[in-house]
Amino acid sequence: MRTPILFETYRPLVNMIFSLVIVLLFVSCETDETQTVITLTNLTFEDDFDTDGPIDETSWSYELGDGTDNGLPAGWGNNELQYYTDRPENIKVEGGMLHITALQESFQGAAYTSARINTKDKVEQQYGRFEARIQLPWGQGLWPAFWLLGSNIDEVSWPQCGEIDIMEYRGQDPSTLIGTVHGPGYSGGESVSKEYDLGNDRFDTGFHIFGIEWGPDYINFYVDDVLYNQLTPEDVEGEWVFDQPFYIILNLAVGGNFVGPVGANTVFPQTMLVDYVRVYSGPN
Amino acid sequence: MKLNTLILFGFVLLLSNCTRDLSDDAVPATFPANGEVYIDGFSAGLEYLPFGDSYFEAFSVDEETAYAGESAMRFDVPNVGDPDGAYAGAIFPDYGGRDLSGFDALTFWAKATKRGTINEIGFGQDFRENKYQVTLNNLELTTNWRQYTIAIPEPSKLTQESGLFWYAEGPENDEGYTFWVDELQFVKTGTVAQPRPSIFDGQDAPIQSFAGVTTAITGLKQTVNLGNGQDQTLTVAPGYFEFTSSDPSVATVDEQGMITAVSAGEAVITATLGGVEAKGSALVTILGDFEGAPTPTQDPADVISIFSDAYTNEPVDYYNGYWAPFQTTIGQDDININGDNIIAYSELNFVGIQFLENAPTIDASSMTHLHVDIQPREDIQPDDYLIVRVADVGPDNEFGTGDDSSGEIRLDQSNLVNGEWYSVDVAFSDLAGLTGRSNLAQVVFVSDATISSIYVDNIYFYDDGGGSGSTGPDMAAPTPTQGAADVISVFSDAYTNINSNLNPDWGQATQVSEVSIDGNNTLRYGGLDYQGLELESSTDVSGMDFLHIDYWTENSSGLNAFLISTGPIEESSALTVPTSGWASVDIPLGDFSPVDLADIIQFKFDGNGDIYLDNIYFFAEGGGGGDEPTTAAPTPTQDEADVISLFSDAYTDVPVDTWRTDWSAATFEDVTVDGNATKKYSMLDFVGIETVANTVDATNMSHFHVDVWSADFTFFAIKLVDFGADGAFGGGDDVEHQIDFEMPMQGGWVTYDIPLSDFTGLTTRANVAQYILVGQPTSATTIYVDNLYFYQE
Repeated sequence: MRTPILFETYRPLVNMIFSLVIVLLFVSCETDETQTVITLTNLTFEDDFDTDGPIDETSWSYELGDGTDNGLPAGWGNNELQYYTDRPENIKVEGGMLHITALQESFQGAAYTSARINTKDKVEQQYGRFEARIQLPWGQGLWPAFWLLGSNIDEVSWPQCGEIDIMEYRGQDPSTLIGTVHGPGYSGGESVSKEYDLGNDRFDTGFHIFGIEWGPDYINFYVDDVLYNQLTPEDVEGEWVFDQPFYIILNLAVGGNFVGPVGANTVFPQTMLVDYVRVYSGPN
Repeated sequence: MKLNTLILFGFVLLLSNCTRDLSDDAVPATFPANGEVYIDGFSAGLEYLPFGDSYFEAFSVDEETAYAGESAMRFDVPNVGDPDGAYAGAIFPDYGGRDLSGFDALTFWAKATKRGTINEIGFGQDFRENKYQVTLNNLELTTNWRQYTIAIPEPSKLTQESGLFWYAEGPENDEGYTFWVDELQFVKTGTVAQPRPSIFDGQDAPIQSFAGVTTAITGLKQTVNLGNGQDQTLTVAPGYFEFTSSDPSVATVDEQGMITAVSAGEAVITATLGGVEAKGSALVTILGDFEGAPTPTQDPADVISIFSDAYTNEPVDYYNGYWAPFQTTIGQDDININGDNIIAYSELNFVGIQFLENAPTIDASSMTHLHVDIQPREDIQPDDYLIVRVADVGPDNEFGTGDDSSGEIRLDQSNLVNGEWYSVDVAFSDLAGLTGRSNLAQVVFVSDATISSIYVDNIYFYDDGGGSGSTGPDMAAPTPTQGAADVISVFSDAYTNINSNLNPDWGQATQVSEVSIDGNNTLRYGGLDYQGLELESSTDVSGMDFLHIDYWTENSSGLNAFLISTGPIEESSALTVPTSGWASVDIPLGDFSPVDLADIIQFKFDGNGDIYLDNIYFFAEGGGGGDEPTTAAPTPTQDEADVISLFSDAYTDVPVDTWRTDWSAATFEDVTVDGNATKKYSMLDFVGIETVANTVDATNMSHFHVDVWSADFTFFAIKLVDFGADGAFGGGDDVEHQIDFEMPMQGGWVTYDIPLSDFTGLTTRANVAQYILVGQPTSATTIYVDNLYFYQE
């Protein structure tokens, strides 16, 4: 259900510095007064991926193919190159981890295969903390994501339903995380987004916890214990559509508008390892 | 430099202060974890050591251009061909050593006066072991300051590294330029990731080798993904890797990545770097022990070499001309085993080595032989063959014209054995068809695909020095002494031989030839395995007592002579080898029992080596008429008035000084034969008779007469010497002449009446003073002499 997203990579350096100043300001001055911290004791959903085999379909559903079954142009609306399957080569639970693996192979007319799952109609929640502990793949053209869509998407469609991208990442930019919201009037290239540079570390060499803490009129973006962005209705140029239940999506795309083509030296297979996904209830 | 030393000294003091606080137990030496190489000047301990052939002034400290702080490293790359050094290159070591294990990359800022691509840049080179050398090839610089990162392949290795920085850069499009490096330091980026080491550039390299041969692992690379998402591939030293052999009993590998073949078999060499398995491997097949071709022994002065490690080789156009369109042969001088260069031909049908177009032709007119060592690399079938051909292009230096010629030798299963060297030493005279060798231009190998894989080594022409050394006897076999009447000869110049086939095809490998040695026809068996000799018809030798053979060999370790009668019934007699010069044997024919001596049809020799044979004959003992005359010499019939007699019962003799001079080689005795006084010489080589005191004036004489009897001589000669007008030896007026008699009749009086005009060298005969008699077999001849006189007919 993805449509084009702003190309963050071309943002001028000056803006990046400006953004960094904002964050520092935010962290140092405003957090204590305005941030409402989610109570982590109230766990409402958890998948630790502790049972080897296929995913737990009481919580998760596969999304298959190239997006045409979902009413989207082939490539999931983003010119993505992969064909999603439910084969264990592409998705399995093993060793306490969910493995979503992108393969370079000719399959159903596509050059790559991978997997995408969601909790639609199974795990949906309004507000709270959504987090996942993930080690990301790497290489030009890899595009993993941990994100939420509004549960009313079938009624109001995208972007009216709202989209919260807790984690997006470009394989060619291994230290940079992108958190984004989309909604009516601020979707795709107009979405509201922020990058976070991990500094002297990378997202493909170890696990990191990607999360949001979401309440009425705010969404706070975290990586590990770092709060790197807060979005409120004032930050979006349109209707704030985040006061309703959302469901979770995990996927690993290959190619497409967001990441560009697969590099000649990109190594396959590439796997996104998910240690757990947890949801805590938040303030009401 | 002095400053650096002081800084280093201060550092040492500091270190000792620290260690004082530790326990008395030995602690491992530690090295400063200082990542700084050049920030605003040389870091502690840093030295500048340019490469020996580089432009020494390339490096300087620039205090005007810097990325940060007060100075930067400046490198002035010279123009092409700069006499002061045509490239810039140096190492920057700290021989105190640094602990760099806490860092993961060398980073720096750099810019250049124009777009430049630094050929090689990295660290780990220290002019010592270079154990952890890292090279980044083709680093592109821009005209703006940019930061660059060179990853450390495995930081845990660098606990005491001296090589902090090195580079080598040449002109760009022939033009020099300048680049700057600043803020050069090892840092912990935290973003060097996804290591992908490789050996053999990631290929599974097949390696065929022989026991004892060492082969280096090549293509040692480390590829990492840097923080900017870009891959970086570095050429790294073997010290970063751990190497493993799947079967150390077949092949071992050391920490330097040297694979040593141990024994026949297969092994796989793999590697890890930092615990990550390297892509690529060596699939080693050890074929077994390799023995190089025999080391040539010819004196280099006697050799014109085309391909040999033992000599200086002449230039050639090629070792494989890949002659289109029919040639399939591949390979040339591309094997080197422990420094031994070998030509390896495979897919052989034919192939040529040429020296004609871009290399001069070879004048081998002063050479006598072609040598080449050949080892088949496959089993040789009965119909397989290999022809070695030598081609001369003639004086016009052009093939296809009338003056070309070529000769060849053909090898087959009898010569060639899989995995063994066969040495060809063939005389040019045996290369039938090669009519000239002043313009040799090709050596060609032809198998017509019967043999597809061979090694070739030591291709050269040589002069065997006229037969000395290993190439055969330099003198003829002894002349036989038996009277012809008592002999049935098979092969001898001394007798009339019965008809035979010297080289029947019995499937032997032996190369049979007849060679002339000292004017004497000699039978040569080259590379004897076995060899037959067929008599044209059955021969009865039952009246004979011995088989005589003269033979010569210096490289045989076994030689047997067989006599064969119909049946076949054969029996052998071992001959002692090798010989020291010619050896002669008289084998009692009884030794060949049960061979039927009345029905001899064949000879056979077996054994090994190169054998020369001569004077193969049967003989009966004792001769026809005993070993001394029983009758007196014929009584002379000349009129006394016409005679000047030295010794005769029929005339008055002139005075003779001596019948045996001191310098003679003979025993002398006055004897009586049948009542007749006779001179007997035994153990004769030569004997001198002199009339020096009263020289003989034979001016008016026309003949010289002598009667001689011998049971054993095969040669007899008479020399007359005239002392000239001064009547004394020497003085420049002496003249002489000798007349030879081959195979004189044995066992009877032989009367010689020799016209003095036959003594053509005896230009005067007024003062004849010496009479020299010569007999052979040398020092084994006995002669009886009577009636020695001059006469006028």
